[in-house]
Amino acid sequence: MDWFNRSDVAVVIEKAPLRVSELSAIIEGLLDNPLLQDILVRGELTNYTHHARGHRYFSLSDKGGGNTAAVIKCVMWRSDADRLSFSPSEGMEVIVSGTVRAYAPHGSYQLQVKELRKAGLGEKFLLVEQWKKQLAAEGCFSIDRKRILPLFPSRIGVVTSETGAVIHDIRTVVGRRYPLEIIISPTTVQGEGAHIEIACAITRLAGRVDVVIVARGGGSFEDLFPFNHPEVVRAIVACPVPVVSAIGHEVDVTLSDLAADLRAATPSAAAELVVPDRVVLTARLRELKSRLNTALTDRVIRAQEEICDLQDRLRPQKFFRKLEERKQNLADLSDRLERSFLNRLVRDRLILAEIKTALDSRSPVAVLARGFCVAEKNGAIVRSACTIEKGDTMKIRFYDGSSQVIVERVNHERNI
Amino acid sequence: MKETYETKIEQLKHIIEKIEDGNTGLDESMKLYEQGAVLVKQCEVMLTEAELKISTLSRDA
Repeated sequence: MDWFNRSDVAVVIEKAPLRVSELSAIIEGLLDNPLLQDILVRGELTNYTHHARGHRYFSLSDKGGGNTAAVIKCVMWRSDADRLSFSPSEGMEVIVSGTVRAYAPHGSYQLQVKELRKAGLGEKFLLVEQWKKQLAAEGCFSIDRKRILPLFPSRIGVVTSETGAVIHDIRTVVGRRYPLEIIISPTTVQGEGAHIEIACAITRLAGRVDVVIVARGGGSFEDLFPFNHPEVVRAIVACPVPVVSAIGHEVDVTLSDLAADLRAATPSAAAELVVPDRVVLTARLRELKSRLNTALTDRVIRAQEEICDLQDRLRPQKFFRKLEERKQNLADLSDRLERSFLNRLVRDRLILAEIKTALDSRSPVAVLARGFCVAEKNGAIVRSACTIEKGDTMKIRFYDGSSQVIVERVNHERNI
Repeated sequence: MKETYETKIEQLKHIIEKIEDGNTGLDESMKLYEQGAVLVKQCEVMLTEAELKISTLSRDA
């Protein structure tokens, strides 16, 4: 065969050769595939090294794969490795999540691991997911179910370990902010069967307290696992008073946290949420006190103003003017009365004088003064000579006196 | 504390509002003030005399 004249070979040679870095770039591009990114891989951990800089290098292979075992090199950078809650060891069955990348300097590809869990744990993760769905369907995490914490609890219940930092922190915060009665409902917070104890500890507080704190210090996913258990979640939901959770660190969210009425980042934060601050209360009370005083002072001032107003209305110039007017009126009336009386008197006097004159002119005395006299017999005026006869005694009245006479003779000028 | 503290504060606010309201008579305002002063005193006592009590439930209860 004429190798040197083969047309296909000639084509290859005519193509410019790739540089290794170019080839690496192509491979890198090919690996940039969604199938290889953010994937979960399960396998046996081998060749584990903890690098001095904190990075972890290891391989994953199929367990019991024998000769056909596939292997992939893995790296876990320090920033991710720091979050490991356990020390991985040779032969451990693990589930990792990560992305496949080419590593040009070694001409190899490797899995960059973000998270590393024990395979058994992986099952627990799945279980938690399953519980979460189930409990959500029961309405355990419903926002509508969340209750408002009492403003002024008289007793608070704490479900936690009797010993350790958690209860100490809560005591300290409560003592500082507003000392009151704390009822500890002690429980184991991790390990097999812990969920039963925790649920009982929550249930036991019913009717004894106004609010419950369920707390646990930080720990691995496995340590916090009991707080994911449906029994604990349902105990929280069934608790007749609001529940505040403070389980693990802020980044660890358990199902108990989701079911609690309020979630606190730490046990101290939970205590702060549960009790009011006495300093704030005292300040607010002082404010109310001063408002009360001001309110009464203002009320009294208003009353004084009212009195002043009334006083003004009671003795105003107008009133005096009216009084003056009335006095004047009275004086006028009295003047008029006096004048009219005097006038009347003058007129009456005039009338009286006229009457007197008239009377005088008709007076018998005046007639007598002109030289007439009146004869009376037995007190009766003698108007006719017929009424007297000789020997009668008569009284003759003059204008300035009278005399007694005896009739000597009676002359009748007319015959009767 | 306390439900009772809370209710006392509520009563106190109510009293203040009544005094501040122009329609309340002076006599009544004085009476209300006396009641308010008593409430303030009681609340102060509650705040100052609060003390930490810790008890632990038995696990078998």
